Amino acid sequence: MLKDLGTPAKGLVRSAGLPREIRRRRAILTLVILASFTLIVLDARRSAGSPVEPLRHAAAAVFGPLESAGTSARQPVDNLRDRFAEVDRLKAENEKLQADNEKLTTELRSTDYARNRAAELDRLLKVAPTYTITPARVIGIGGAQSFNHTVTIDAGTADGVRPDMTVLNGDGLVGRVVRTTQGTATVLLIGDRESTVGGRLNSTMALGFVSGRGDVAGSLDYKLVDLRARPKVGDRIVTWGSSGNAPYVPGVPIGEITTVTPNQGTLGSTAVVKPFVDPTRIDLVGVVTGPPARPPRGIVPPEKGGG
Amino acid sequence: MTSLRIAVAAVFLLIAVTVQTSVLPQLAVAGVTCDLVMIVVVALGLARGSEWGAIAGFAGGLLLDIAPPADHTAGRWALALALAGYIAGMIRREASAGPVGPLGVALTVVLAAAVSLVVYCATGSLLHDPSVDWGEFGVRLGISAGYDVVGAIVVIPLVLWVMRRFVPVRERRRVLP
Repeated sequence: MLKDLGTPAKGLVRSAGLPREIRRRRAILTLVILASFTLIVLDARRSAGSPVEPLRHAAAAVFGPLESAGTSARQPVDNLRDRFAEVDRLKAENEKLQADNEKLTTELRSTDYARNRAAELDRLLKVAPTYTITPARVIGIGGAQSFNHTVTIDAGTADGVRPDMTVLNGDGLVGRVVRTTQGTATVLLIGDRESTVGGRLNSTMALGFVSGRGDVAGSLDYKLVDLRARPKVGDRIVTWGSSGNAPYVPGVPIGEITTVTPNQGTLGSTAVVKPFVDPTRIDLVGVVTGPPARPPRGIVPPEKGGG
Repeated sequence: MTSLRIAVAAVFLLIAVTVQTSVLPQLAVAGVTCDLVMIVVVALGLARGSEWGAIAGFAGGLLLDIAPPADHTAGRWALALALAGYIAGMIRREASAGPVGPLGVALTVVLAAAVSLVVYCATGSLLHDPSVDWGEFGVRLGISAGYDVVGAIVVIPLVLWVMRRFVPVRERRRVLP
């Protein structure tokens, strides 16, 4: 098979090269392919003991600061992206915006990037007031053509971040930490196909599982444990938490049900959930690094003066 | 001269990986980012031939595999980009009597995008990676290829121009515009 790769197409032979050159080229291609397959086999299980793991740590040590610096140059890019991505929405909102124009202009002048960040941090504290949160910025995002939904954040073991910690932002659940190094951590978003989160319907407290569908908008599938329970459009879903608060802490909002389809031939139904967090727009996130300051349950005292 | 060329190529790949993971996702079209590393690999292949293309592709792909936020089996992008770089080098050699024109470069980029994505997703399927979704593949490949051609308009002339400055005089005749 490799024979064909090295020989020039017939009729196009202008500088076919000496046989020695062709042999060398083919040898290099074979070597490179073999090296790739060796890597794939060595790392196939992606376990912690994989020989590629030291390489990943070294790469994170090099690319963490680089990506962090690259992200700093992001404000102008952010504006540019908004211009590309939101043209449609902006058109629809144009009239309303014109009415608010004067107010917005004044606000715009006094609002800068840092203030946006501070506001996001405020909202983060409101979502999870009882947990110890380590704030972090997203410094790297994987492209959709690789089908993985992961991001890099600029907090690592030095900041107390460990694998299997919950990551959230002001809107709700973002994902969980899967891999950490000294200064960076990789977060698996809930929209990834490998991600499954226990979710509870806000309205009926019914339990179920939320798994990623792997599409760009990050929409999720929701399957209930109790087959007779009927999710409704507009129902909200929060996490029900894992034992020891890892990987997910309870009570973090996940999303809202947009469509419900009864399962064909079996009991139960599948609901599609729109997450509260837009996976393409996450910037400042928080990692839950500590338990609540005290258990989130109050004491119910007996009613005084009764009987 | 050779070591200088290798250093320049390495710097190109480092910058490409950094920019692709940190800045370009902000400019994603429907979630698909520009494969800057792939474009640089194609440019190196076009500038220096198949051997360079394959080795640069392997190195750049390996960086993509291990640099955060990658969370897939290492070696998949390395294999994909090595093949893409090799093919780009072959195209340069076939057309070496005359320079590869802008159309040729664009077609090379589209071909390389298709080859690299197919190889990347096929290896993922072989490893039972649940995130590979062949139903979505066509759309993503289309967007990706189009976006890559746009990126290549800027990047490839830059890489070719820089690499040409580090080329021995006896080879100047063969180098692209």
